Amino acid sequence: MGFFDTLAQWLGVKKREVNVLVVGLDNSGKSTIINHFKPNDAKNHDIVPTVGFNVERFKSKSLAFTAFDMSGQGRYRNLWEHYYRECHGIIFVIDSSDKLRMVVAKDELDALLQHPDLKNRRIPILFFANKMDLRESVSSVKCSSLMGLENLRDKPWHICASNAVTGEGLSEGVDWLTDQIKDLIVSRKK
Amino acid sequence: MKYSKSLLSTWEIHHRPRIAILQRAGGGNPFNNLEKSTVLQEARTFNDTPINPRKCGQILTKLLYVINQGEAIGSLEATEAFFAMTKLFQSKDPILRRLVYLGIKEMSKIAQDVIIVTSSLMKDMTGKEEQFRGPAIRALCSITDTSMLQSIERHMKQAIVDKVPAVSSAALVSSLHLSKNSQEVVKRWVNEAQEAVNSDNIMVQYHALGLLYHIRRSDKLAVTKLVSKFSKHTLKSPYAYCLLIRIATKLIEEENAGSGTPMFDFIESCLRHKSEMVIYEAAQAIVQLKNTTAKDLAPAVSVLQLFCSSPKPTLRFAAVRTLNKVAMKHPAAVTACNLDLENLITDVNRSIATLAITTLLKTGNESSVDRLMKQISSFMSEISDEFKIVVVQAIRALCAKFPRKHNVLMTFLASMLRDEGGFEYKKEIVDCIIATIEENPEAKEAGLAHLCEFIEDCEHTVLATKILHLLGREGPRTPTPSKYIRFIYNRVILENAAVRAAAVSAIAKFGAHCEELLNSCVVLLERCQMDTDDEVRDRSTFYVNVLKQQQKALSSAYILNGLQVSVVGLERALHQYTLEPSEAPFDMKSVPLATQPLVEQKVREAPGGLGETPSKVSADKAAATRQDLYQEQLAAIPELANLGNLFKSSAPVEITESETEYYVQCIKHMFRNYIVFQFDCTNTLDDQVLERVTVDMEAGEGFEVVKQVACASLPYNKPGSTYTLMRLPEEPTSVTGTFPCTLKFVVRDCDPTTGEPDDEGYEDEYVLEDVEVTVADHVQKVLKANFAASWEEVGPENELEDTYALATVNTLEDAIKNITQYLGLQPCERSDKVPEGKSSHTLYLSGIFRGGHDALVRAKLALDSSGVTMQLTVRSTDPSVSEILATAIA
Ligand SMILES: Nc1nc2c(ncn2[C@@H]2O[C@H](COP(=O)(O)OP(=O)(O)OP(=O)(O)O)[C@@H](O)[C@H]2O)c(=O)[nH]1
Ligand SMILES: [Mg+2]
Repeated sequence: MGFFDTLAQWLGVKKREVNVLVVGLDNSGKSTIINHFKPNDAKNHDIVPTVGFNVERFKSKSLAFTAFDMSGQGRYRNLWEHYYRECHGIIFVIDSSDKLRMVVAKDELDALLQHPDLKNRRIPILFFANKMDLRESVSSVKCSSLMGLENLRDKPWHICASNAVTGEGLSEGVDWLTDQIKDLIVSRKK
Repeated sequence: MKYSKSLLSTWEIHHRPRIAILQRAGGGNPFNNLEKSTVLQEARTFNDTPINPRKCGQILTKLLYVINQGEAIGSLEATEAFFAMTKLFQSKDPILRRLVYLGIKEMSKIAQDVIIVTSSLMKDMTGKEEQFRGPAIRALCSITDTSMLQSIERHMKQAIVDKVPAVSSAALVSSLHLSKNSQEVVKRWVNEAQEAVNSDNIMVQYHALGLLYHIRRSDKLAVTKLVSKFSKHTLKSPYAYCLLIRIATKLIEEENAGSGTPMFDFIESCLRHKSEMVIYEAAQAIVQLKNTTAKDLAPAVSVLQLFCSSPKPTLRFAAVRTLNKVAMKHPAAVTACNLDLENLITDVNRSIATLAITTLLKTGNESSVDRLMKQISSFMSEISDEFKIVVVQAIRALCAKFPRKHNVLMTFLASMLRDEGGFEYKKEIVDCIIATIEENPEAKEAGLAHLCEFIEDCEHTVLATKILHLLGREGPRTPTPSKYIRFIYNRVILENAAVRAAAVSAIAKFGAHCEELLNSCVVLLERCQMDTDDEVRDRSTFYVNVLKQQQKALSSAYILNGLQVSVVGLERALHQYTLEPSEAPFDMKSVPLATQPLVEQKVREAPGGLGETPSKVSADKAAATRQDLYQEQLAAIPELANLGNLFKSSAPVEITESETEYYVQCIKHMFRNYIVFQFDCTNTLDDQVLERVTVDMEAGEGFEVVKQVACASLPYNKPGSTYTLMRLPEEPTSVTGTFPCTLKFVVRDCDPTTGEPDDEGYEDEYVLEDVEVTVADHVQKVLKANFAASWEEVGPENELEDTYALATVNTLEDAIKNITQYLGLQPCERSDKVPEGKSSHTLYLSGIFRGGHDALVRAKLALDSSGVTMQLTVRSTDPSVSEILATAIA
């Protein structure tokens, strides 16, 4: 924790609040990832498949995140769109060990990118190639090519390999997202 | 579901104040002129980040207010508002969060995809924030359907036995609501409910007992055990005691039992409970029971008597209200409290005073009527409409009891009519006057005069048209019909279109009935042909043309007695006729008749309800549309689609004994040439699934079974229907029969643990009781408001007459009841009521026989020492019908 953070806290200045939307197929590890960022006493020890969504809060170095952790099950995916308009960033979680369903994930991503509420916005998207610890998992490079990310040019994006159970790779990703969102807010203010 | 409602309202009592407080802020009602669309627009604010809890709270309150006002919100806009609201989960503000729970509950049935909040609510219901947990459970259960229930089952079970009372109560009450659609799942929570009954918290204990009862309610033995168990091991909660008393009362009623049973002893013992609420509940249960002797009643009445002089107004009110209710049934018991009631006449609480006076009126003798009426008129202006209605009801009872007092009472009613009062109150007075006129011929002229005066200045269209209709029916048959015409015609000049149209119909009736008035009526009606309203013009044109024919039969059929078809049926038949162009004129006989509402059968209480007041479900309305529903249902079954118009559907008859393996009831649907027997079956064995269920009927005597429509599958406790189609005999006079029936089916046994049925099934059968088809099944009741006119209209062509000695009946009333029931016809001109002390009487019956033939019966009855002699005369438009009816009695 740097000097300015402490000073800011001491002065009662609150962190800037932003919303992120956490999407991706079911079982990809969204809820586990968000759980990792929560303070120890608020951690959930029994993560069950999400039905609908959950709102969770966590902090990065300079932002306070409100995360909408959406359900990834097929019948609920069409409900993601209700939350597109208000979010400042998107976290898209991919189960990098589930090659079979990678195409499904790609379809969902394409639909998301084409959605009128997101299409013309330069909204940053963070991809987690999650479950990197599993033997069948593919590298983040392989993952990004399977997802066709090279064609994603009009939005800033970043992909990290991660392990939500140990937390490996998660901070790197969120740091990137924090910088992106801050840049965006600053540039909009100008 | 009256009972679960009462549980719900206890909840609302706890939670409504929040809204009330929000409403009060700012003085007056800030929500008075809310516009639905504006509020929905404002609800978009929920999407803004960061969230402003105060502002969002206000908007959400407005939204709740609008919904509670009954505004209809379309699914699309509701869904948009709902999803916007889900974003408020970001805020931790406790007031806002709890409003969100309310919002979810209110919108759960109008918005789509409401399951989106499932995880969020589950998190709150198991979270640390105690005040969120209960409301979150209630909200969660309102969005959960049977398919989703499995996933929250574990949490529900835990919540039921949670040590926080609010959480446990919320879970119990929600389970009760869930069991409406997911009975089977909720049944599995019985152990948890059992544990919760032992709670120290009085509300939890009450709610747990409620759920336990609900789970077992269809199993009478289990309910009996439940009552006897808890009546011994003392419950802490007075609410639970009250519920137990209600359950016990229901059991006694169902078994038609009385005192001397353990159930009754339990209720009786509650009269000595330490809580006044329980004592009162027990007392009122006892006095309301059907089979009670004066001895059983005494302790209950003395408790109520004691309450009458309690310093607490609520107790006095409760006691006198109960006494008022049972005054007619147990006059002697209530008279015992007369002194106490007299003291309450001057009670400062006018509601108590009113109830006391009206109770005394009901039980008092003729001489006290004047004094009490005077007393009550001294403060009529101070009491609310609701209690004024109680007064009118007491007067109505008095009119029936003391016909000689009709002058005093009518004058009183007339002055009440003149005073201020709302619609319900005025309607009650008008109904009372009409009932008195119908029951007491001597009161007729005075009553009609009061009503005439009333419509001169009556703001309620419904009442004005009702009175005009009555004047049209009764006026022509008074000694001086002409004096009513002026009152009626005034309405044509001064009123709105609906009243004008009713006035036109009334005038036409005078013209049709009284020859000397015919010409002047025609002149008046011709003036109405210039009216600005088309309905008024149409009616007058029609009546003028019919009247000018000067034919008795026409006037009877089209003016005095009118059309007797079902409006829905007429609409459908005309629509059909326009779809298939044909040379033949439209046949009025093809239209199904309007079914006579079953007025005698006042619904006492909705089945299963435990509330003390009879349900307000209108019996009339249900009966009027029942047949139209059946017609539609049957037409949807391809095998039964082309039978023509449904003529009549019988009431359901049980053809199994109660509490057997299978429960079957039969409804007979009559068509012109066929009968459809509908068998509604319920399989009460949870270890079996029945398939391909049919009912075999042994026909005979010209009847022939043509088709069976099987019920594909009959799982446990899910009713299903199978149909048997029978052709009626060629011979038109053979119409009755008795048919032995057998239920046939394939059984598949179910695995006791999983409930999965076996792959292999085996055939089996089950003998049912015989189904009978009687004359009454072929007859539809149709009231002829003017019987004499119809008698002339049908004429003597197919008249049959015979004289019978009815040896088994001893009174005219019994004879009338039997004949009416047997023939299934409608008594007209109130001829089913025998004036007191008469030894001879004429009964007029009318109806329509299958095939659309008019059927009229005149039965002259005379009582002598050997029994009742009857001269029966039948007229019909069809000779076979006359024969069937004339021989039906023999
Ligand atoms: N081995 C391994 N398991 C993981 C990892 N991340 C998540 N899991 C496991 O994957 C399962 C699913 O995780 P969730 O967080 O519930 O997945 P989700 O994306 O929230 O799923 P939905 O809510 O149904 O959309 C859990 O059993 C996690 O423990 C990971 O990085 N490595
Ligand atoms: Mg999840």
